[in-house]
Amino acid sequence: MNLGLLIMAVCVGLATWGFRFGPTKIDLSAMPSDGWLARFLASTGPAAIATLFVASILPMVQGFGGPNLPLFIGIASVLGCYAFSRSVVMSTLAGSVAYGVVFWIVARPGLL
Amino acid sequence: MTAVPTAHPIPRPSFGAGVIGAIPISLGYLPIAFSFGVAATRAGLTGAEAVMLSVVIYAGAAQFLALALLISGAPLLVAAFTLIAMNIRHVLYGPALLERAGRDVDTGHAWAWAFGLTDEVFGTALGALARGQRFSQAFMFGLGLTAYLSWIIGTAVGAWAGGGALNGYPALEAGLGFMLPALFLALLLSILSGAQIPVILVAGVCTVAMTLIASSTWGILAGMVSGALVGLFRKVAR
Repeated sequence: MNLGLLIMAVCVGLATWGFRFGPTKIDLSAMPSDGWLARFLASTGPAAIATLFVASILPMVQGFGGPNLPLFIGIASVLGCYAFSRSVVMSTLAGSVAYGVVFWIVARPGLL
Repeated sequence: MTAVPTAHPIPRPSFGAGVIGAIPISLGYLPIAFSFGVAATRAGLTGAEAVMLSVVIYAGAAQFLALALLISGAPLLVAAFTLIAMNIRHVLYGPALLERAGRDVDTGHAWAWAFGLTDEVFGTALGALARGQRFSQAFMFGLGLTAYLSWIIGTAVGAWAGGGALNGYPALEAGLGFMLPALFLALLLSILSGAQIPVILVAGVCTVAMTLIASSTWGILAGMVSGALVGLFRKVAR
């Protein structure tokens, strides 16, 4: 085991743990429910999830030469399944399966 | 005497509920961690070193960046500061989650469950709260521990398999690769409300713009902060 790598990992791990744990000890009880900090924090979740979704599909969009049919069908499957089932688990699995199947169809020469 | 009806509050979700809630996260983590294990061994790390990075750092994007920095010959101190800066976005997750959970929640064991508060665990926990579930530390433990173990197992299998393990199954690799985007989209739908649309739109546009101008790290930071700032100009949405 490389000692330098281990020390670096421990430093980064401790800092990351501090970023995740430290702010949970902030006392929110004195914060007005309609104050600027409450509004900021209430929007952080949707903003973070939207950001992570966009950031995760961006390489797929950039790396594809033409229209990305697997991505389009994958997203449509998530939307359709969620509208039908209201289940995060089912929608995630449906989107992933649809993406893989369409990728397989598109990748097969002469099939499409 | 007439019996006084007692209130039956929604029960707090259990550890098992957290384990079940982590299934889509685990399905997404396994292939990504597998890829990390493969990439780490390709970069010259031993299997034990690859697994150690997943056990100790436990932050996917930062771990891939760590490999890139190590391959490029960056000094370990520079690499450490870069990776710490990359993970600073996590400071927003705890307060955002607890603000949603309510003012009287117990955070006595947050020192332990907050270790597993990754992007996906945060999103899943927030989505559950938005759907009316109560906050519980047991649920957070179930969610976090399952995701954490998936990440470590995926890394270990990837490091053991070595390069090219999924080369013969490109469609499977592609489908697994879409698991996390699908999860984020489903989570977004689960917390979607009319009041959040401006937040989501601004976050998305800023992410794309800053990713194209600077880098994906700056894109993620800009998207989160700009979207949250939009929230300052509207009423609190529940």
